[in-house]
Amino acid sequence: MFEIEYGDGGAVMCRGRLDAAQCEKAEAFMGELEGENTLDFTDLEYISSAGLGILLKTQKRLAGSSAGLKIINVNNHIYDVFRYSGFHAIFDIEAKE
Amino acid sequence: MQREFPRHLNSLAGLYEFTEEIMKAHDLPDGIRFPVHLATEELFVNMVHYNPTVTTDIEVGIDVAEQVTVSLVDNGGVEFDVTAKREVDVDSPLEERKPGGLGLHLIQNLVDSLEYQYQDGRGEVIFTKKSGNKDV
Repeated sequence: MFEIEYGDGGAVMCRGRLDAAQCEKAEAFMGELEGENTLDFTDLEYISSAGLGILLKTQKRLAGSSAGLKIINVNNHIYDVFRYSGFHAIFDIEAKE
Repeated sequence: MQREFPRHLNSLAGLYEFTEEIMKAHDLPDGIRFPVHLATEELFVNMVHYNPTVTTDIEVGIDVAEQVTVSLVDNGGVEFDVTAKREVDVDSPLEERKPGGLGLHLIQNLVDSLEYQYQDGRGEVIFTKKSGNKDV
């Protein structure tokens, strides 16, 4: 199960498990993003390389207009995945406290 | 414990439930379950994507002792050595980064052992992750 929607504060709330079977839903939403955006991963439990690919594709597209994604409240397991993937150098990432 | 899953991404939810139920029954922590789920998904998805014309189910087995051992058997698929080292660019600036290739890179960093065998159209991947549980 994966859900993605705008939260009350304007951030994009991602919930559940972003696996390869859920990428179509994630890509459809992120493909519409413009400008600076914050992704809130408070309730995102899991991400695989398929989800990483969508984040990278979105970040590259937004960078073309000098914008980008900030990812906040990342759990320590997903943070490890980001670190092994070198995402900490190309995204603004904040770990969950 | 072993189960067969249809060769389709729609199998991922059932695959997660299957492995999660067994690992939770052994009280394995998130720090073990997360990388096992990730490696299992990446290997399963590889078998799906690299064999689009094959219709056989994929056999997945999991055993929990002092380590979690997961096996995936692909009957009829092409040979694809998941243990081979591949160049993955994780250091370049954003404009030079390309999607793809991260799955095997993550597996090779997150599991403790990874083996691959292929013979007569049968490919088998086995990986282990230390469970940290000496009592199981």
